[in-house]
Amino acid sequence: MNVVFAVKQYISKMIEDSGPGMKVLLMDKETTGIVSMVYTQSEILQKEVYLFERIDSQNREIMKHLKAICFLRPTKENVDYLIQELRRPKYSIYFIYFSNVISKSDVKSLAEADEQEVVAEVQEFYGDYIAVNPHLFSLNILGCCQGRNWDPVQLSRTTQGLTALLLSLKKCPMIRYQLSSEAAKRLAECVKQVITKEYELFEFRRTEVPPLLLILDRCDDAITPLLNQWTYQAMVHELLGINNNRIDLSRVPGISKDLREVVLSAENDEFYANNMHLNFAEIGSNIKNLMEDFQKKKPKEQQKLESIADMKAFVENYPQFKKMSGTVSKHVTVVGELSRLVSERNLLEVSEVEQELACQNDHSSALQNVKRLLQNPRVTEFDAARLVMLYALHYERHSSNSLPGLMMDLRNKGVSEKYRKLVSAVIEYGGKRVRGSDLFSPKDAVAITKQFLKGLKTSGYHCVYHWRSHL
Amino acid sequence: MASLDDPGEVREGFLCPLCLKDLQSFYQLHSHYEEEHSGEDRDVKGQIKSLVQKARKAKNRLLKREGDDRAESGTHGYESFSYGGVDPYMWEPQELGAMRSHLSDFKKHRAARIDHYVVEVNKLIIRLEKLTAFDRTNTESAKIRAIEKSVVPWVNDQDVPFCPDCGNKFSIRNRRHHCRLCGSIMCKKCMELISLPLANKLTSASKDSLSTHTSPSQSPNSVHGSRRGSISSVSSVSSVLDEKDDDRIRCCTHCKDTLLKREQQIDEKEHTPDIVKLYEKLRLCMEKVDQKAPEYIKMAASLNAGETTYSLEHASDLRVEVQKVYELIDALSKKILTLDLKQDPPPHPNTLRLQRMIRYSATLFVQEKLLGLMSLPTKEQFEELKKKRKQEIERKRILERQAALESQRRLEERRSDLASRATNGEVVPPRRGPAPLRKAEGWLPLSEGQRQSEDPDPLLQQIHNITSFIRQAKAADRTDEVLMLQENLRQLQDEYDQQQTEKAIELSRRQAEEEDLQREQLQVLREREWEREQGQAASLHTRTRSLDFREIRPFQLEPGREPRTHLAHALDLGSSPAQSSTATKTSPPSLAPEPFRGWSGSPALGQEFLPQSTPSQRSEAPSLNPFDEEEDLASPSAEGTASPPAPEPSLGPPARLLREYNPFEEEEEEEAVAGNPFARPDSPAPNPFDEEDEPPPRTPASLPVPGNPFEEAPCTNPFEEDSDGGQEGAEPIEEELLLQQIDNIKAYIFDAKQCGRLDEVEVLTENLRELKRTLAKQKGGSD
Repeated sequence: MNVVFAVKQYISKMIEDSGPGMKVLLMDKETTGIVSMVYTQSEILQKEVYLFERIDSQNREIMKHLKAICFLRPTKENVDYLIQELRRPKYSIYFIYFSNVISKSDVKSLAEADEQEVVAEVQEFYGDYIAVNPHLFSLNILGCCQGRNWDPVQLSRTTQGLTALLLSLKKCPMIRYQLSSEAAKRLAECVKQVITKEYELFEFRRTEVPPLLLILDRCDDAITPLLNQWTYQAMVHELLGINNNRIDLSRVPGISKDLREVVLSAENDEFYANNMHLNFAEIGSNIKNLMEDFQKKKPKEQQKLESIADMKAFVENYPQFKKMSGTVSKHVTVVGELSRLVSERNLLEVSEVEQELACQNDHSSALQNVKRLLQNPRVTEFDAARLVMLYALHYERHSSNSLPGLMMDLRNKGVSEKYRKLVSAVIEYGGKRVRGSDLFSPKDAVAITKQFLKGLKTSGYHCVYHWRSHL
Repeated sequence: MASLDDPGEVREGFLCPLCLKDLQSFYQLHSHYEEEHSGEDRDVKGQIKSLVQKARKAKNRLLKREGDDRAESGTHGYESFSYGGVDPYMWEPQELGAMRSHLSDFKKHRAARIDHYVVEVNKLIIRLEKLTAFDRTNTESAKIRAIEKSVVPWVNDQDVPFCPDCGNKFSIRNRRHHCRLCGSIMCKKCMELISLPLANKLTSASKDSLSTHTSPSQSPNSVHGSRRGSISSVSSVSSVLDEKDDDRIRCCTHCKDTLLKREQQIDEKEHTPDIVKLYEKLRLCMEKVDQKAPEYIKMAASLNAGETTYSLEHASDLRVEVQKVYELIDALSKKILTLDLKQDPPPHPNTLRLQRMIRYSATLFVQEKLLGLMSLPTKEQFEELKKKRKQEIERKRILERQAALESQRRLEERRSDLASRATNGEVVPPRRGPAPLRKAEGWLPLSEGQRQSEDPDPLLQQIHNITSFIRQAKAADRTDEVLMLQENLRQLQDEYDQQQTEKAIELSRRQAEEEDLQREQLQVLREREWEREQGQAASLHTRTRSLDFREIRPFQLEPGREPRTHLAHALDLGSSPAQSSTATKTSPPSLAPEPFRGWSGSPALGQEFLPQSTPSQRSEAPSLNPFDEEEDLASPSAEGTASPPAPEPSLGPPARLLREYNPFEEEEEEEAVAGNPFARPDSPAPNPFDEEDEPPPRTPASLPVPGNPFEEAPCTNPFEEDSDGGQEGAEPIEEELLLQQIDNIKAYIFDAKQCGRLDEVEVLTENLRELKRTLAKQKGGSD
């Protein structure tokens, strides 16, 4: 159940099926992201795919010597674009793949547009999600809920994403959802509906224990996302932001042109793959080793290449060296920026207090620490708001709750309205009223972990569903 | 039995769980077990159980590895990164996800539509043909109109008050026009014209498609003609007013559209753009490389390993061929890159991008594959490699043989150990002394008998076997078999000879090593001696003595070890007070080396005897002082007097040692003989097996560092050969290499330029210049 591999297999199959010859890949905005997560440009170039076009781009030239592979989401706009495309075909032959279930009527209208008989294939390949890591996917949805209810558009997109995931992994699951969450229930129902409707698609080899689709609502644990993370990938995501494996470094002071935007992909970057889940301290030492390795391999520029053997060695090592130099400079920059942000934002201290808020029950010391940090000018308004949110969640019903005082402190610190609103929102979203269990009692935490592990064992299938609710 | 717990020993094969005898097969092991151990009332079960468990563990490990391999093949092309704790390999193999095809549905709908469309187009073309079938210029307009009306019924003027396309009202000024192809009505603005050449092209194409294909030169002309025709028609204003169409046909936009589409299709069928032609060639080349390169790599690898499966000439031919294909790929992709670049309306950016991408991927391809092409050895190198490989094989064989001998010997020792334990299982100290002697005595006849009755060398055994076979075959009058057997015999003998030679070499090498060790050791001894002579305290005295003793022990255990580590070891042990105190007991023999030094004149050689002749003792008497037996002989001359020669005692021990240990193992014996200081200076002849009289590659004295001659000789040689041959012998290859490098660098420069790394470009250009200069120089030199 490797989602990256699943999508990659789909793409490879598309390219293989189109046979030899120059090819263009026609995609929409979302599928571009889906493909770019699993294939690098040079990898796909070697499969004779030389051009990448958006179906909605108007400035496309007629190139009848190219074969077109269309990988599109089955949306209304895409079907319309495709109909226009087929009426006046720009390429010699079209292989059409939809990333999800497409309606019969859409197929019909496409067929009627294909007067010149350029379409050679129409298929559904269910790569309808962004595969981030082998065990993690995302749908890149920001804000899936309005209050506590689904945004209907996002609900349907989430349903599509989940059913596509199931189909690409060939699993027909048993669905479990969090009883306390209405949203989880809705989603479970929607997924079930699709499975019932498309029962033919979901006829896979039955296993003794059916795989389990576990749908959880983040509201049961609003704490964890509020904590600062200290592993590599999580830190990059938290502090720099990862968008389809791309990291925008343009705000880094004194950044060189090449490194404005870097790609961190575990598929092609061994260092990243090996270190993404290690904590920050370990990364530091690993980076040092990487640098040392690199120094060893680095050809001495001063040293003239005197003999043929030198020259030969240089030429043979050059590509490797170049690749390595790219990796080294990329990671050094990213880690450097991370550590700069950590010290600039005083994150070590902030994180310590966050941990205290999350794990301990000493109200007075927690309050004192939060207050102290709120006075610290280096703590950003975002971090300050997060601290108050954590406090609010933990000591929501504490007898000597002094949330109003902290809110005053936030206001005095000049934290914007936008952030201050979050405090009440997060209580509404993940407060005690909503939570089924007491998140902060250590006994329960252990029990939850145990249950989770048990769930893993019995089902053999887990779906880490990224519930990104940004309120 | 005890060695089962021996941590340092790992043995494989069909070992008897009780005596650890190595049996060749399972069946042999079984029968051995039945014969030897069936009567023994030991707790065999437990041991077997543990053995079975071990085997199971090993099997599990192997199976697991197999399973991993399978998973790997299932998820081919997937990089093996660890994913920080999440290992995708742990997951079950994954098949391609679900998919569903709509193609049949699609085709059904399309077919219905296409039929309609094709009929429509064909109808238009048939009408067009009818309209152009007669000579329009020489026919009256009225007659033309009549013909046109006969082709398609015209729509009544009264039925259409407005132009259906633009919606303008028809009047006297805005007159109605009829489409000659479908008969519909439109206004003048919406009217289209089809020139005769275009009409001809369309009709002739459809005719040709039925009979033969159109000549390609015709179509561009007709396109050109159509344009010219329309211009000329515009100029003849009168004809428009006249409504007489000499060379064109009126039609509506819809019909014209359909016809134009048709024309486009016809054009595409005939026309393949240059880029496609070049690209096809490029792909062909790439396929060729994919085909040839693995073949070449296989060849080169085999040749570089010194094998003679492929011929060097053939391989270099193939190399040149592959390289030519690479050049072609490079040239073709460059051509694609610059295609149409200088055309007046510059090509669409996408075309340029396509060209760039093709070039880029070709560069990637060349880079990736070309670097995998290893170079071939020159002729001289190849010879060298062949030799090296031969030696390598020999060495392996010897190692195997040695291992076999070792195990055999160990087995025997174990037996003798058992025996000695059985006979004198008393207190430990008295046992120590006699044990080796007893063992030696006990073994003398046996090993000798072994040597006489059956040859310990399997090769010799086989030779004997074969000779007896030959005798039998001769007796049975089977000449062909005799021939075959004789051939076998010859091969065997050759191999045996070689083996023996190698053994001799190996022995002399060992000697050299040991000699060096000795020299170092002696150096230490001397230093200590000197120290002692400086008048140091008695405690120090004992310590050095103990050192001497200790020094020999580790040395004996690991004769092949580096002298330096050995020395360190010795010092280490010596500095430990506890050990020195236990060692004081044995202080007299520690002086034993000294008389040797004095006696032989060449101290290193003299001392050599000690380690060489004693290895038989190592395994079974760990704490045994090798000098115990010599004690009486060596001690009188030893004390204090280092310099005066003492021939009697010194001659004594070696002789005795020889006598005692000779038969124990021929290897050891040879060593002893070869190491004999008297014999060695002459030649390695004492080696009884050295029939070819091949001298050892290096005399021990010339060895600066005790190293394996097999490793050393080939190690240094190829490099020397390389530089020599490179500058003199193998001019063409070097030049070729240079050219190849230049190409590579050019590719990098291109790449770097594309990515805008100017500093790299500079460095690379510098390199390129350097290379070119070298090339020029070489050329000048060779001319």
